[in-house]
Amino acid sequence: MIGAAGPRALARRFGAVAGLLVLCLLLWILTPYFLTVANLLNVMEQTAINAIVAVGMTYVIISGGIDLSVGSLLAVAGVVLALALKADWPVPIAAVAALGTGAICGLANGVGIAFGKLPPFIMTLGMMSVARGGALLLTDGRPVSGFGAGFRSLATGHVVGIPAPIVLTLVIYLLSHLVLSRTRFGRYVYGIGGNEEATRLSGVPVRFHKTVVYGVSGVASAVAAILLTARLNTAQPIAGINYELDAIAATVIGGTSLSGGDGSLGGTLIGALTMGVLRNGLNLLGVSSFLQQLVIGVVIIAAVLVDRVLKEKRS
Amino acid sequence: MNRIVITLLCIAASVGCNRGGSTSETSSAKPRVALVLKTLNNPFFNDMQRGAQQAADRLGVELVVQAAERETDVERQMQIVENLIQSGIKALALTPSGSKEVVPAVVKANRANIPVVIVDTRLDPTAATEAAVKTASFIGSDNYDGGRTAATFVVSSTGGKANVGVLEGIPGHETGDSRMRGFKDGIAATPGIKIVASQPANWERDQGFNVFQNMLQAHPEIDTVFACNDMMALGAVEAIRAAGKTGKIKVVGFDAVEDARKAINDGTMLASVAQFPEEMGRAAIENAVKALRGEAAQPDVKVRIELVTKGEK
Repeated sequence: MIGAAGPRALARRFGAVAGLLVLCLLLWILTPYFLTVANLLNVMEQTAINAIVAVGMTYVIISGGIDLSVGSLLAVAGVVLALALKADWPVPIAAVAALGTGAICGLANGVGIAFGKLPPFIMTLGMMSVARGGALLLTDGRPVSGFGAGFRSLATGHVVGIPAPIVLTLVIYLLSHLVLSRTRFGRYVYGIGGNEEATRLSGVPVRFHKTVVYGVSGVASAVAAILLTARLNTAQPIAGINYELDAIAATVIGGTSLSGGDGSLGGTLIGALTMGVLRNGLNLLGVSSFLQQLVIGVVIIAAVLVDRVLKEKRS
Repeated sequence: MNRIVITLLCIAASVGCNRGGSTSETSSAKPRVALVLKTLNNPFFNDMQRGAQQAADRLGVELVVQAAERETDVERQMQIVENLIQSGIKALALTPSGSKEVVPAVVKANRANIPVVIVDTRLDPTAATEAAVKTASFIGSDNYDGGRTAATFVVSSTGGKANVGVLEGIPGHETGDSRMRGFKDGIAATPGIKIVASQPANWERDQGFNVFQNMLQAHPEIDTVFACNDMMALGAVEAIRAAGKTGKIKVVGFDAVEDARKAINDGTMLASVAQFPEEMGRAAIENAVKALRGEAAQPDVKVRIELVTKGEK
């Protein structure tokens, strides 16, 4: 029960990969602009923010919870970062302030859920509003903008020819994948989501680890906030609206089960890329904005449907 | 597995059909020009799209229109611009979702040597200068003058005495801020006109309803509303109806969209400042085409503004 691998998880991940490949193949046939190096880098760059938010979401969902506050946490962390930069704090310290903001709000979620026994849906719904309100209060509702070139290079710079946001995303995925698959904490996350009671009875401090999981999600949102702020050269208090839905979609397209205990970060990265490729492709094809929303919804439903069918077949 | 493949094929087929349907067969030879709007669920931008399409048809270019789902989603708007640059557009007309946030997207278009026409909302001058962006032209109404026009009308129609509730747009948006400034400057010389409450309702009808309902709870003395767009004004009209105060509170909006014109004729709204989004759309594409053909585009096109009241249509 505890552990990510196994033929079932593999089959499902393969399903997500195959889906993404088919999508790419179709776009390659339909438009000459899709399969170019510039466009593929473009897609990955655009996917970075959702992909990073979805790292935290994957941890939370594997542990059997949900985090609706990620978009608001992204906004408040971005605003703290921007105000710190405007107050001439050095970039690393401003970044730590943003990460700390995300961590504190996330841990508060965790405490409410693990120790206050609040349903995750309710606790994070409350936090969604609290953090949004905080972001608006801190800025008086106005965007904060205009930062130094050094900071902006986080989004605009390159590492050995690859855009920095892509490198950052890959590093984050590698590290969080190792934590989830190779550490005791990672095993506990699966255990809590699979069977919380059994995990508790086997002596695992469940409440502590649950709290940390929401802390991880808060930090992931803050990392995404740093990237978004650098990309737009602005932090907006109204940033990140509906990002929780994109992150949940990426996670479930990647095969993570909403009932907890099962899933992988590799899948989530594929899920985020699928959404990014889909949006990019629909733009390249010049499809009407209304049809785009419809198509994205259909793909999410189809992906989860396939996931469920595969699950039933194997069990 | 099979199902996902089938689903994706269906989508591809529908996308393919849509693509075939929306463009004519000869279009591959025509240069593609993109119009990126703030949103498509506001009649103002639908009108702009119509004007742009007319110009595109007349000038023989292919028009691609895209918009984010939400008017405030600057990040999505930037993604759309990036994707369109990849799709080989020859010129870009853009209504910025945020006057500062969209600057990096314009930088990318500049780098790809795609001429950019800014429509409706000006780029933030400081951010634009800092990033050294180049734009071929700006097309828009003078929102500041529009705000003043509304103020002058409020002064004359109330006899110089009013308690005004203001519904603002999204904070930090150049368009809304200019309208507000124009309005405030316009009433400054008339001490009898007081702004008793001023709150953002983010351009939206439902928020206009809620915000004005709350405003009315706190300030029952309000007898005049100035809303920075008609969507919020129409929301306020409904809130006034719910409070049973129809006819007792004067509502002045901005944009003169079709619903607002109806409300003015029904007497539930008093006036609206008319912009001409269709003309903006037309001018945007005309100048974008000039720029892509290497002709001189007009750097600053001011589209007229008029006050619409009952009896004038």
